[in-house]
Amino acid sequence: MTEPGTAATRLPDYVVRRPAGFYRSANPGTKLAVAAVEVVAAFLLPGWLGPAVVLAAVLATAAIARRLRGLATIGLAASPLIGSILLINLFLLPGASDPIARLGPLAPTWSGLWFGFETTARLLAFSSAVALVYLTTAVDDLLADLSRRGLGRRATFVVGAAVQMVPLTMARAGEILDAQRARGMDTEGRFWRRARGVLPLAAPVVFGALTEVEERSMALEARAFSAPGRQTLLRIPADSPADRALRWAALLALAALIGLRVSGRLG
Amino acid sequence: MELLGRWVSRQFTTRVIVMMPVAIAINIVLGASVQQGLKLPIYLDSIGTILVGVLAGPLPGALTGILSNLIWGYLIPAPIGSSTIAPFAITAGVIGLLAGLWGQLGLFRPRHGRVFSVAGAVVAVVLVGALALYTYSRAYASPEQFAANTFNSSDAFDQSRIFFALVMIAYFTLVAWAIFLRREVGAVYAIGAGLVTGIAAAVVSAPISAGVLGGVTGGSTDAIVAAFRTGGDSLYQSTLKQGLLSDPMDKMITSFVVFFIIGSLSRRFVARFPNGEKAIEGAPEHEPEPAPESAS
Repeated sequence: MTEPGTAATRLPDYVVRRPAGFYRSANPGTKLAVAAVEVVAAFLLPGWLGPAVVLAAVLATAAIARRLRGLATIGLAASPLIGSILLINLFLLPGASDPIARLGPLAPTWSGLWFGFETTARLLAFSSAVALVYLTTAVDDLLADLSRRGLGRRATFVVGAAVQMVPLTMARAGEILDAQRARGMDTEGRFWRRARGVLPLAAPVVFGALTEVEERSMALEARAFSAPGRQTLLRIPADSPADRALRWAALLALAALIGLRVSGRLG
Repeated sequence: MELLGRWVSRQFTTRVIVMMPVAIAINIVLGASVQQGLKLPIYLDSIGTILVGVLAGPLPGALTGILSNLIWGYLIPAPIGSSTIAPFAITAGVIGLLAGLWGQLGLFRPRHGRVFSVAGAVVAVVLVGALALYTYSRAYASPEQFAANTFNSSDAFDQSRIFFALVMIAYFTLVAWAIFLRREVGAVYAIGAGLVTGIAAAVVSAPISAGVLGGVTGGSTDAIVAAFRTGGDSLYQSTLKQGLLSDPMDKMITSFVVFFIIGSLSRRFVARFPNGEKAIEGAPEHEPEPAPESAS
């Protein structure tokens, strides 16, 4: 296995590039561990405490790492979901009997409104904790780090190739959808009309993607993909003592949270 | 132990490893397009999972499902990526596992009018019909019996009865279409497999939907959950009923689509997968081990 310090000086930038800046330069494994604690805390800490603590921590980290704009975009993308959560709970929370007003057959309730806000905050805390990992980490760095920790080459390939293929397949699906719309496919009309659009969309996407399987597997075999033995990693993400300490702290916090929840001390 | 190791490694050939990311991309792209683009109350995000499960086996199927949801939730940025998808990785894993089982049983093999196949299909349809009739007579005989047998409020009796009927109508419509229009008896087995997969998926995903997301996913199925909650159901009951409506329909359609995809692929391509021989019409029931791939 190549050590980063020895061979790195002779390797090109795209192999040895290091992410810079607060949190962005942290080891991907550390960021995953921190995100795991935040996700668990968002769900296990009672009431508003969990979402509030996690959201504060994530927003502060994102601000210092200059990734607040990315988080805001994700928040905007989640707005239909947030609207759905608030509306459904506002009007339909079972057992709620403290109406804010009467709107014909509908009666929005205070408890529904608070429950909606709490669920939204929990969801935002959970999703922003996870989003901060991919906003501050390149996928190939994450995979390189996971490979160093023992993730097999097959798993690394599957995840890496899938992430690369999604935008390509999405672009192809967009082209197909546009082409079918140009031929008269209805994507905005009644249910049955929209349902009829499933096959003209699904079939070309699936068959187009499957044609690549044969070529890719031959290309991999030609490059000794199944050969036994460990592969040499060209790029190894930095792993400082501070990273290791933070991972241990995250692990202990995770154990403490789960222990407190199981013993009933978190309510 | 060695046998288990061989069983596992047999399912993960290079071709399967290459197929998995393709299947994951198909799941994510079709799932996002159908839910966001066509705005239908079905998901269609498990075509790739079922395809890999049927052709490769239960373990690649389960892994494809789990990884699809994790990658969709955690590695793909918005607007395609959605953190509400990730918790359903468990459900996707179960779908892939069951698809692998159905593939090993040969339920996705095309069968054109063989006597045994027709008899088997008739038995399968009669069994599903009898099971549906029994469930209906036990659960829906009266609002009181409905409340006693399903632990639901009797207010939701009519609504629940309509959704039960809708699932059964979807099943028999797909079966009739396969038999009478496509003259394809094998599809009946695939649709039955989809029905069972859908029920299992609904049972697994209901507690996730209720516990993690409060029953709201931002998709068009939210309206169905809301309808059940208006009928007096609890959050868990609403998500379970929504799942029991959407999931069997979705998985029946998905299985049906996968069945015809496999039938449209070249026999040579399909046969190179670990379970490929069991998805080809006219292939022997007990095939020899596939040849090593290094020569391909």
